[in-house]
Amino acid sequence: MIVLTPLKKFQFPVHAECINPDVFKGKSVKEIAALPVWEGNKKKKLSDIFKIEETPAETPDITINGDATEVRRVGQGMKNGEIVINGNAGMHLGEKMAGGKITVNGTANGWTGSSMKKGLIEIHGDAGDYLASPYRGSTAGMRGGTIIVDGNVGGDSGCYLRGGTIIVKGNAGPFLGFHISKGVIYVEKNAGGRLGASMTGGKIVVSGAVDEFMPTFTVDGIKKKVKIDDDFKAEGPFYVFLGDLAEHGTGKLFVSQPSNPQFSAIYDKYL
Amino acid sequence: MTELLIKNGFVFDPLSEINGEKMDIAIRDGKIVESVSDQKAKKIDATGLTVMPGAVDIHTHIAGGEVNTGRMIRPEDHVKDVVRKTAITRSGTGYSIPSTFVTGYRYSKMGYTTVMNPSMAPLGAKHTHEELNDIPLLDKATFPLLGDWWFVLENLQKGDLAGCAQHIAWMMETTKGYAIKIVNPGGLESWGFGRNVHSIDDVVPNFDITPREIVCGLAKVNKMLNLPHTIHLHTNNLGIPGNYLTTLETMKALESVPNDGKPICHITHVQFSSFAGENWGNMKSAADEISRYINNHNHMTFDMGQIIFTDTTTMTADGPFEFTLYQLSGHKWVNSDVETETSGGIIPMHYKRKSAVNATQWSIGLEIALLVKDPWKIFMTTDHPNAGPFFAYPKIIAWLTSKKARMATLAKCHKKAQKKSLLPSIDRELSLYELAIMTRAGQAKALGLTGKGHLGVGADADVAIYNINPETLDIAKKYKTARKAFDNAAYTIKDGKVVVKDGEVVQNVDGRTIWLDVKTREQLKVDEEMKRKFKEYWTVEYENYPVFDHYVKVPEAITVKADV
Amino acid sequence: MSVINAVTCPICGCLCDDIEVTVVNNEVVKVKNGCAVCEAKYMGYKSEHRIRQPLIRKDGKFVPVPMKEAIHKAAEILANANYPILYGWSSTNCEAQRVGVELAEEVGGVLDNTAVVCHGPSLMGTQEVGIPTSTLGQIRHRADLIIYWGCDPWSAHPRHLERYTSFTKGRFEDSEWKSYLNKVKAAAGRKKVLSATRVAPKQQRATVAEEVVFNKPPETLQKEGRKLIVIDVRKSMTAEVADYFIKVEPNKDYELMQAIRALVKEQELDVDQVAGVPVEYIKEVVDALVNCNFGIIFFGMGLTQSAGKFRNIEVAISLTRDLNLRTKFLIMPMRGHFNVSGANIVFAWQSGYAFGVDFSLGYPRYNPGETTSMDILLRGESDAALVIASDPGATFPKRAIQNLVKHPLIVIDPHMNPTAMLGDVVFPSAFVGIEVEGTAYRMDNVPLPLKKVVEPPEGILSDEVLLKNILEEVRSIKAQKAKKAEVV
Repeated sequence: MIVLTPLKKFQFPVHAECINPDVFKGKSVKEIAALPVWEGNKKKKLSDIFKIEETPAETPDITINGDATEVRRVGQGMKNGEIVINGNAGMHLGEKMAGGKITVNGTANGWTGSSMKKGLIEIHGDAGDYLASPYRGSTAGMRGGTIIVDGNVGGDSGCYLRGGTIIVKGNAGPFLGFHISKGVIYVEKNAGGRLGASMTGGKIVVSGAVDEFMPTFTVDGIKKKVKIDDDFKAEGPFYVFLGDLAEHGTGKLFVSQPSNPQFSAIYDKYL
Repeated sequence: MTELLIKNGFVFDPLSEINGEKMDIAIRDGKIVESVSDQKAKKIDATGLTVMPGAVDIHTHIAGGEVNTGRMIRPEDHVKDVVRKTAITRSGTGYSIPSTFVTGYRYSKMGYTTVMNPSMAPLGAKHTHEELNDIPLLDKATFPLLGDWWFVLENLQKGDLAGCAQHIAWMMETTKGYAIKIVNPGGLESWGFGRNVHSIDDVVPNFDITPREIVCGLAKVNKMLNLPHTIHLHTNNLGIPGNYLTTLETMKALESVPNDGKPICHITHVQFSSFAGENWGNMKSAADEISRYINNHNHMTFDMGQIIFTDTTTMTADGPFEFTLYQLSGHKWVNSDVETETSGGIIPMHYKRKSAVNATQWSIGLEIALLVKDPWKIFMTTDHPNAGPFFAYPKIIAWLTSKKARMATLAKCHKKAQKKSLLPSIDRELSLYELAIMTRAGQAKALGLTGKGHLGVGADADVAIYNINPETLDIAKKYKTARKAFDNAAYTIKDGKVVVKDGEVVQNVDGRTIWLDVKTREQLKVDEEMKRKFKEYWTVEYENYPVFDHYVKVPEAITVKADV
Repeated sequence: MSVINAVTCPICGCLCDDIEVTVVNNEVVKVKNGCAVCEAKYMGYKSEHRIRQPLIRKDGKFVPVPMKEAIHKAAEILANANYPILYGWSSTNCEAQRVGVELAEEVGGVLDNTAVVCHGPSLMGTQEVGIPTSTLGQIRHRADLIIYWGCDPWSAHPRHLERYTSFTKGRFEDSEWKSYLNKVKAAAGRKKVLSATRVAPKQQRATVAEEVVFNKPPETLQKEGRKLIVIDVRKSMTAEVADYFIKVEPNKDYELMQAIRALVKEQELDVDQVAGVPVEYIKEVVDALVNCNFGIIFFGMGLTQSAGKFRNIEVAISLTRDLNLRTKFLIMPMRGHFNVSGANIVFAWQSGYAFGVDFSLGYPRYNPGETTSMDILLRGESDAALVIASDPGATFPKRAIQNLVKHPLIVIDPHMNPTAMLGDVVFPSAFVGIEVEGTAYRMDNVPLPLKKVVEPPEGILSDEVLLKNILEEVRSIKAQKAKKAEVV
C-alpha cells in the first residue's frame, strides 16, 4: 500500500489523475514520487506536494491521509484496485471509473463518479453536485457500478443515468435523476425540486418528502415495496408516477405516500 | 532576398506535367524561380522524398458564425483533444471543430497551404474574416452564401441577369468574398417559414422562382462576371434517399448554360447528393449513375465529402436538412437563419461502421472518386467537419491509393453495406500523380488560383515534402507507412519559408486572405440602390455592413473585370 | 462641428447602429435616434469619476505612477501568480478580447467574462440541447408570435421592440404600433372613467387587481398578425404592452415550460394549475404557440438567474425544439452588455470555449462549477486577478469579493468604479465605442463596427494597447526568469 499525506493545505487546484492504482502498479516509491501533477499553473512531482510512504499491507492500494479537497481527478478511469481517502476528496473523484473501489471517509466534491462504468464508490460523508453526472454537453451518464453516499448529495446528481445504482442515505438536491433512461436512484430522506425531470426511463425512489413536484408526471398507482437491488427493498407505500410526459417518458418515480400528505388532494382522485 | 533550394526530390507537379521526375525546385522571395545560387541558397536535401505543390482544400468549414457556434455547443468534443501551448504555437482544442490556431497547425502539418472556407453569411462576414486572420500558416478565401439572397431571387425572377450580376459584384467586394456559394437553392428562403423545396422545379414561396432558375441564372451570372471559380453548389434534397435524381436533373439543367467546354459549376460534397433508394431502410449508392454522368460530361467539377467513421459535427447553411437530421437523431440542434440572406444549422453526428447507412455513405464517396476516370474532375474533401474532420485526410489517401486499405475498412462495416458496396469490384489505385491532382492541382485549377497547385516558375512557393520514396515504397501495399508520411509532412513550405519540419510547426507565419475586387460598369448605381433599400432589408445600417479593409490582416485582392 | 452617422451604441446587446452623434470641439453635444440610456451615456460619459492616470496602491493609498511602472507592476503580478483570474471583457471590443486570450494563456490563468453572472447559463443550456435561433431581422420580417420570458426590454433593451419585433414593419409582418396606441388610449380612457366614478371601495379593487393575474387569454391571441406574450414574475412595462401577460410564480418557470412541452405533445396533466396558471389557460396559450406561422421566445435573466438556471434555458430551448415539429419557432437570449456576446465568440474561436476558460494546465479547460471566476473566488483558490471592462465589485457576492481583494488586483477601466477602488494597480482606459473603435457582437451574434467619435483624454490608452503592453512585459519578465534559471 502507498500512503500519501499532503505536505500542506492546498490553495490552488491540484490535478493528480496519476493517483490511480493502475498507474502506481509495478512502480517503486521513487518512480511514484516522480509522477507529474499540477498545482495551479505549475507542473510538479507528486513528491513535491505529498509525503509518499509504502507499507506492507496489501489493501487498499492507495491511502490518502489528510485533506484532499483541492486534489482533483483521483482514481480517474481506474479499472482495478482500491483507494481510501481519510479526509475530504476533490472534484472528479473516480470519474469514468471502470472498476475497483474508492472509499471516502469525509466529503466528496462535484462530479464524483462522473460517467462511471463499473466499480464501487462509498462516501461516508456528503457528496457534491453532479454526482455520477456526465461532463458539460455530454449525455453519457453513469452506465454501471454502484455509488453509496451516507450523507446528502448536491444538485444535478445522477443526470443521464443509463445503468447502475445510486443510493443516498441523506437528502438529495434539485434535478436528481435529470433525464435518466435506465438504472436506479434511491433517496432515503428528502428530494429537492424538479425530481426526475425529463426522465425517459429508469427508476427513482424517494422515501422522504418531495417538495416542488413536477407537474408532468401522471400517477399510476400505489406500491408497498420497491426493489432497489438484490439485497434491498424500500418499504412504502409509494405513489407510483410515470413520466416525464414532456419527453413521452416511461420512467418510474416512486414517492413515499406517508411522507407526502400534500399529494393526496391532487392525485388520490385518479387512484 | 531569401533563397531556398529543394534538391533532388521526386517531384509531382501535374499542372506542369511532371510525374515523379528527380529534380530541384528553386525558390526566391516566396516564389518559384528558374534557379537560385547554389552557394547562397539554403538547401533542403529531398533525396528519396516526394515533393508536391502545397495542398489545396476547395471546401472546408473552418471559420465564421456557424463554425464558432459549433465550437461553443460542443465542450464534450473539445475535452478529448487538447493542444498545449509551445514556445512557437498557441494552445487550443481540436477534434471535430478545432480552434482557429489549431486548424492552421493541423492543416500545415499535412502539407496544406491553401484552404477555402465555403460558407459565409454575408451579414456575418466580419466574423468570418476575424477568424480567418487567426488561422495561421494558410492562404484562405471565403465564399458568401448568395443562392437565396433576396436581391438574387428578385433580380433572377425579373429575368434581369445583368442586374443580378451587378449585385453579386457588390457583395463580393463588400464581404471580401471569392466565389458564389449556393446551398439548397430556394430551400433556405422557404425555410424562413419552416418549409423547403423538394425538386428543382418547386416554386419558392413569396418569390415565384424555382431552384432551376436560381442555379442556371447564377451560373450565367458567374460567367458574365468572369469570376475565377465557378458557382459552388450544394444541391437540393441533400442527404435524402433518392436524391441522386435531383442531382442528375440539376447537372442536366446546367447543360443549358453555355460552357465553352469548361466547367461552369462545382458540386460540392457529392457523396451527400448521391443516394439511391426511397427511404433510410433501402437507401443505397447511386455512385454508378452519378459517375457515369460525370464521365460523359465536362461542364462540372466535384469534391467528395468523404465520410470518416468518427464523432463529428455537421454544419451547413442548409437549415432544413439539419432539421431533418434533428428529427432523425434528436441530438442537440442549432438553427441559425440570417435575415434576407440564408439559413444554417448544426447537429453533432457519429458516423459508425456498424450503421448500414453510414457505411454506405462511406462507400459512396470512395466509389465516385474511383469511378470518375478523370482526376481533374473530382477532389478530395470531407466537407470538414460535416463528413469528418480534415485531419483524417491521410486515411482517405490510403483508401484511394490502396485497395487493401479500403477492403480492410470495408470488412469491418455493416454487413448490409458490405454486400451493396461497389468497392470490391473497383481495382483502381490512384498513383501519386493522380493524388497530386485530386489534392492540389485539380483543386487550384477549379478555383482559378493561378499561383497555386503547381511548382512552375512564378507560382507561390508553397511546397509539401513527404517522406515517401516512390522508387522503394509501394503505397498501395504499405498504405500505413504512406498514411503516416501524409499525416506528418517532412517539410511544409509556405511562401518560401519552412513552417513545418517532421510534422512539427517550426515557424509561425500569417497566410493571406484572397478576395475578389470585381469591376462592373454600374457600380455606383447599384451602390445607390443598396443604400436606398438597405433599411427595408436588414436591421443594420448600410454604412456598417461592409468588411472594411482592416478586417483582413493580410489581404490579396484579385481584380476581376466583368462583362457587365 | 461634425455629425457622425451610423454610430453603434456601446451599451446593451441591441447594439443599435443608427445613432447620429454631433461633436463640437471633441465634445458630444447632441445624440439622435438613441434611447434615453444611449443619450445619457454619450452626453455624460465624461464624469468626475474618470480615472486620469495609472495608480498603484502604496501603503494602502493610491499613488499616481508613470505608465511604465504600472505596466511592469501588473505584469509582475501576473507572471508570478499560480492561479490568476482575468475577468470582465464584456464592455470592451473584440480586439482587446483577442489580446486577453493570449495574455491568459501566457500567464496560465483563468479567462472569464460577465456571462458568469448573466447568460452563462444560456450558453450551458445550448451545450445540452443546441439552439434554434436566427438574426433579429428574421424576427422583424417574419415573426407573428413574440414572447418575452423573464425579461423586460421596455426598460433594459429600450429599442428592441421598435427595431426588431412587435413595433417594426417587416417584409411579411406589419408593425403593431398603431394597435398598441389604440390600446393605450382605451386603457387611459378606462382609467379616467374609473377614477371619475370611484365606485369601488379599496378592498374590492384589490380583489379585482388580483384576478387580473388569472385573466383568460384574450381571443386576439389566436388572431392573424403579430401577437405579443410576456411571461414574468411581475407585470413589467413590456407586459403592459402585451396582448397577454402570464404572471408566473417566482422560480416556477421550469415547471411551466415543462408543462407546456407536455401539452404541445398532446399529453394530459394530472394537475389543474402549474406555477399559478390554470392548465385550461395554458392550453389556450399552447394553441397560440402551435398555430402561429413563426414564433420566437426572447428570454432574460429572469430565467437564467432564477432557480434552475441553465436547466431553465435548456427546457426553454427544448420547448422551442418541440414546437418546430409543429411550426417555425426560434429562441434568443437577451444579452446585456454590448459586447458580452463578442467575448464569448472570441474566446470560443481561440480556445474552443466561450467563458470560464482555465489555461492553468497549458491548454484550455472549461467546466462551470469548477473553472469560472465565480467558482474559484467562492472557493478562494486564486492568488491574483485582472479585472477589465466590468465591475465585479458591484455584482459579485460578498465572499467572492473578499477573496478577490485578498490578493493583488489589477483593474482596467475608464471609471473609478467600486472594483477599481479595491485595486492594487489601476489603469485608466479609453471608452470603447466613444473614444476607441473596434468590433462588437449584437445579441444575435451579428458583428458591428464601433466608432470613435471623440479623442480620448491625453495619455489614456485603449484596452487593447494596455493589454498588449502588459503581455509584452510579462514575456520579458518570464524570459529574464528563464535566463536566470539557466545560469543557476
